[in-house]
Amino acid sequence: MEENAIVRAEGLRKTFTLSQKQQKLEKTAEKRKVAVDGLSFSAYRGEIYGLLGPNGAGKTTTLRILSTLIRPDEGDAFVGGCSVLREGEKVRDKIGFMTSELKLEGFFTPSYLFDFFGAMHGVGKEALAARKQELFSRFGIDRFAEVKVSDLSTGMLQKVSLVVSIVHDPEVVIFDEPTNGLDVLTAKVVTDFLIELKNMGKSILLSTHIFSLVEKLCDRVGVIIDGRMAAEGTLEELCGGCSLEDKFFEIYRSIKGEIV
Amino acid sequence: MKLRALIQKEFQRFFRDPKLIATLVLPGVLIYFIYSLLGSAIWDGEKNYSYDVLVCGSSPKVEALFEASFGESLTLTRTEDQESAKAQVKAGSITALVTFSEDFDNAVSEYDPMSGEKAPEIEIFYRSADDASSAFYTAATSLLSAYEGEISNAFDVNLGGEQYDFSSTSEVVMTILGGLLPFLVVTLIFSSCMSITLESVAGEKERGTLATILVTSVKRTDIALGKVLPLSCIAALGALSSFLGIALSMPKLMGLELGGMFVYTFGDYILLLALIVSIVPLIVSAMTAISTYAKSVKEASSYTGVIMIVVMVLSLVSAFLSGIGDWVAVIPVLGTVVAIQTVLEGGSALLVGLVSIGINLVFTALFILLVAKMLGSERIMFGK
Repeated sequence: MEENAIVRAEGLRKTFTLSQKQQKLEKTAEKRKVAVDGLSFSAYRGEIYGLLGPNGAGKTTTLRILSTLIRPDEGDAFVGGCSVLREGEKVRDKIGFMTSELKLEGFFTPSYLFDFFGAMHGVGKEALAARKQELFSRFGIDRFAEVKVSDLSTGMLQKVSLVVSIVHDPEVVIFDEPTNGLDVLTAKVVTDFLIELKNMGKSILLSTHIFSLVEKLCDRVGVIIDGRMAAEGTLEELCGGCSLEDKFFEIYRSIKGEIV
Repeated sequence: MKLRALIQKEFQRFFRDPKLIATLVLPGVLIYFIYSLLGSAIWDGEKNYSYDVLVCGSSPKVEALFEASFGESLTLTRTEDQESAKAQVKAGSITALVTFSEDFDNAVSEYDPMSGEKAPEIEIFYRSADDASSAFYTAATSLLSAYEGEISNAFDVNLGGEQYDFSSTSEVVMTILGGLLPFLVVTLIFSSCMSITLESVAGEKERGTLATILVTSVKRTDIALGKVLPLSCIAALGALSSFLGIALSMPKLMGLELGGMFVYTFGDYILLLALIVSIVPLIVSAMTAISTYAKSVKEASSYTGVIMIVVMVLSLVSAFLSGIGDWVAVIPVLGTVVAIQTVLEGGSALLVGLVSIGINLVFTALFILLVAKMLGSERIMFGK
């Protein structure tokens, strides 16, 4: 099965220096915080893999390492066989990364931004035009192609962001908290988009703390607590008949004790 | 291709936004109008008045002096009714009233300042709120002071009618421009760079649109170059607009014909242009580095404010550094300012100029590398 892995994390460790203000907020005297602590997992081709965990578990840090935005202190990860440490540019060409922190400039139109980000990934003009036509009509953006991004509705803006993130037809799509902070309609746009991507044969890695999202979308799930992989497997393997929520809190209690 | 797309994006962002274009052109237009108006106020202020002045008493010598000085713009009318004349001045129907004490001219020629007696007197009644009346009063008192000095003449200075000042007009222009322009040029370039760079770099970082580019496969150095190159061109255009505003209004401000300003050789102009062009990417790249480091436009503005003070001080102190030596060329900004000043004052600054252009380009390259490094830093790009 390992040879089918499209994303492979091997012993990832990442620590951050805490400022005095952060030390006070975290009520700790420690100057360094371990965000990810020896994390290893594999996501396979064509599946949706979910990283499930509470806030501060290390999900976002892991996804940022995988997308080469930050470097791990120890360990390495491979996307499509390319190392995030040594082949950052190649990795970024293989992934589409979406997070609420990444925004599109409101001044430009979806059509312009699609072309711009296509150029950023080195997509040729003809291929770009064909892909724009395909994706814009598939996701209903074509009627808004020349409308300024700042004038789009929230749902349409989310669709444009999603489409722009896969302009270069990446093998892997990484989503950090895909439905976080979205209203129900926009969240539906995102979940439908993810299912659509899976149908298109893409491999998807997402992080979330929403159980229903994992149950609805994910083929396999990794439970992260305190930067470590606490449990991993398909929903059936992991839950064994009980709900994901019950299983998660059972795992959580076994590691952290009672929930405060 | 990626760098070209980045550069095109910056140009698109700027030149498709009428507000941003206005920020580029308006300073030059405003400078032109303000300086021209200022020049008109200074040099044209006295020309169009006509003075209708009543005279009470008599002094053929002073009246002749007035007529010689004011010419046809002055109409002197004799009156005996001083009170009525004062009322007319007050009402604004005449420009001023000049009264002479009795037998003024004779009294003046016989007056001994050591006698302790009251000196003969001229009184000028006028209205300072009225432009013509005020102008007459200023000019008349100045004439009378000179006349008084002439009467009790002990010695003269430069009254022989020779040409005493051996400076040519062009040398005067050079001195004035050399003292004034380097500071203005650097300040204009700085403010032009500031308005666009902070918005484009710190603004993009704050809005999260810069991070979106970071997850593409484009090189960090290309992103840095993709900011510095187009922003330098735009800032240079902004600086050029302001510079044209100054250059075109300067003759009016200095009371000269436009042709009187062209006092430099072709080589001087080329060197000046090269110096000005080389300082733009230096300032833009330094501001790009600051904007990349800062978490927000507000934070970047406060850092840039400090840099602006340093740059302004450097461009001001250059006036006191003449003859300090060519080594000054290795200090960014200062070397360029000294070279600009030397050229404007008519000196030779080829070596200092070329070295300082080289230094500016080296520092620009270093700032671009620093920006590329910062773009790869998680603490700077994603730190809370």
